[in-house]
Amino acid sequence: MHDQNMLEIKNIYKNFGSLKVLKGVSTKVDKGEVISIIGASGSGKSTLLRCMNLLEEPTFGEVWIEGKLMTPVDPYLHYDVIRASNTYKKLLTAGMADMDAITKIKSEDMLQEKHSKEGPEYKALMEKIYKENHIDTNLGRRKMSMVFQQFNLFNNLNVLDNIMLAPIETAKYNKVKDLNAEKEKIREQAMTLLKRIGLEDKAGVYPSKLSGGQKQRIAIVRSLAMNPDVMLFDEPTSALDPEMIGEVLDLMKELAKAGMTMVIVTHEMGFAREVSNRVLFVDEGYIKEEGTPEQVFEDPKDPRLQDFLSKVL
Amino acid sequence: MTLGSIFHDMWDIFVTYYIGQGLLWTGIGYTLLLSAIAVFFGAILGSLLAIGKMSRFKILNFIITAFVEIMRGTPALLQLYIAYFIVPMMLTSLDPTPIACVAIGLTLNSAAYVSEIIRSGINAVDKGQTEAARALGLTSRTTMTKVVMPQAIKNILPALGNEFITIIKETSLASNFFVGELMTTYAVIKGVTFNTVPTLMDIGIIYFVMTFTLSKLIGMAERRMKASA
Repeated sequence: MHDQNMLEIKNIYKNFGSLKVLKGVSTKVDKGEVISIIGASGSGKSTLLRCMNLLEEPTFGEVWIEGKLMTPVDPYLHYDVIRASNTYKKLLTAGMADMDAITKIKSEDMLQEKHSKEGPEYKALMEKIYKENHIDTNLGRRKMSMVFQQFNLFNNLNVLDNIMLAPIETAKYNKVKDLNAEKEKIREQAMTLLKRIGLEDKAGVYPSKLSGGQKQRIAIVRSLAMNPDVMLFDEPTSALDPEMIGEVLDLMKELAKAGMTMVIVTHEMGFAREVSNRVLFVDEGYIKEEGTPEQVFEDPKDPRLQDFLSKVL
Repeated sequence: MTLGSIFHDMWDIFVTYYIGQGLLWTGIGYTLLLSAIAVFFGAILGSLLAIGKMSRFKILNFIITAFVEIMRGTPALLQLYIAYFIVPMMLTSLDPTPIACVAIGLTLNSAAYVSEIIRSGINAVDKGQTEAARALGLTSRTTMTKVVMPQAIKNILPALGNEFITIIKETSLASNFFVGELMTTYAVIKGVTFNTVPTLMDIGIIYFVMTFTLSKLIGMAERRMKASA
């Protein structure tokens, strides 16, 4: 029932208490695409990224990874589910037309959270959709690793163990038969990755002894070691000293060239323009404008985007 | 009474009673035994309380919070008195000795403090560490055992050492029940010599030597732990 996009988010809402950060955001990420998300501080762009791998649980909406559902089913996204609900049936007996009833239910958030109040038919359909499509959150996350602004290397592990931890735990989870051979393979892969970024001599060093640029490149490599299908970057250069930004951006460009699917929240407009296929401008909880870098940077339509670009460019 | 005579009496009492009658060894022995029991079982119980408090069960959370707040908000001496009278009533068949009752009271008191030490030790680990682990698809359990706890231990162990020192001092409250720990020796010696101040100062020196040595040992262990990271 679902097309095989790499990553798709549907109608994501995120509230923190009474603060509405995201107000219905949808987008698809295709294989090999590099998407930059730009916007002012507090616009919700980091929250949007963190909703993609459920570090923040969306209040409403669905996240799909490779045709698999990571969030609970959002009934408002399925007309057949709405039609199965008691609320809908009541509206219809009250004389409302089909689409009017659906629109009213969606816009006024009328479905009761307790499934029993919406009847067995509704409940069964919700469960069916969930069962057929759902993927465990941890399994989903292994397909899309994340790079953080603050690097977040594990302080208690040296560089090599930082890279190897998640692949080894995954191998254990998958009940690999010869774990020692698998560990050896993972170690080799980790060393290859370290060589690729020229930091193989740092394998035994703890994170506290590294520069910001080195930390971030190792964090990127740690993500790569999971062989992810999508990589999420949350302002990867914002915490770096200016002279170290280049080395991290160069590594990211290299990944983009190699065909990695990437979603990048960034303030580096020059970089966004150079490497992205698509740029999303997030503002006030919506995607206000999206398009190719040329469209967004050279011919912005939205006045808020024009204003934003005039300040940052 | 001159200062010189106080020092003279201190020495006299120390040699005659603490060394001569062996009160030093029994006193220190009971004090360390009580503290070790309270810290050891307090650490185990405190860990369980900390885990319970981090769980999602609201009722359990409430009970543990109430217990911890009550233990921290009432005097330890009061708690020992209650333990002293209540434990024998509850465990009539075991006929617990006074020292066992006091040990139980101290353990419960220490558990409340230890649970807070563990909880704050875990909370002090940067949230980004958990997020990075979860984002890599590690389960919450693996995140806890491989990433958070190894870092939290470094915050927890020194604080646990300090709790040990605090407990050593708190065992002096047990002298109210004449269980034989160091502070009890005051009543014993005073009863014979009627010489209060030198006896108290002897006891003070013995406590200080114990706690000071321990705090130096903890400091050494702490430095070694930091060097290994």
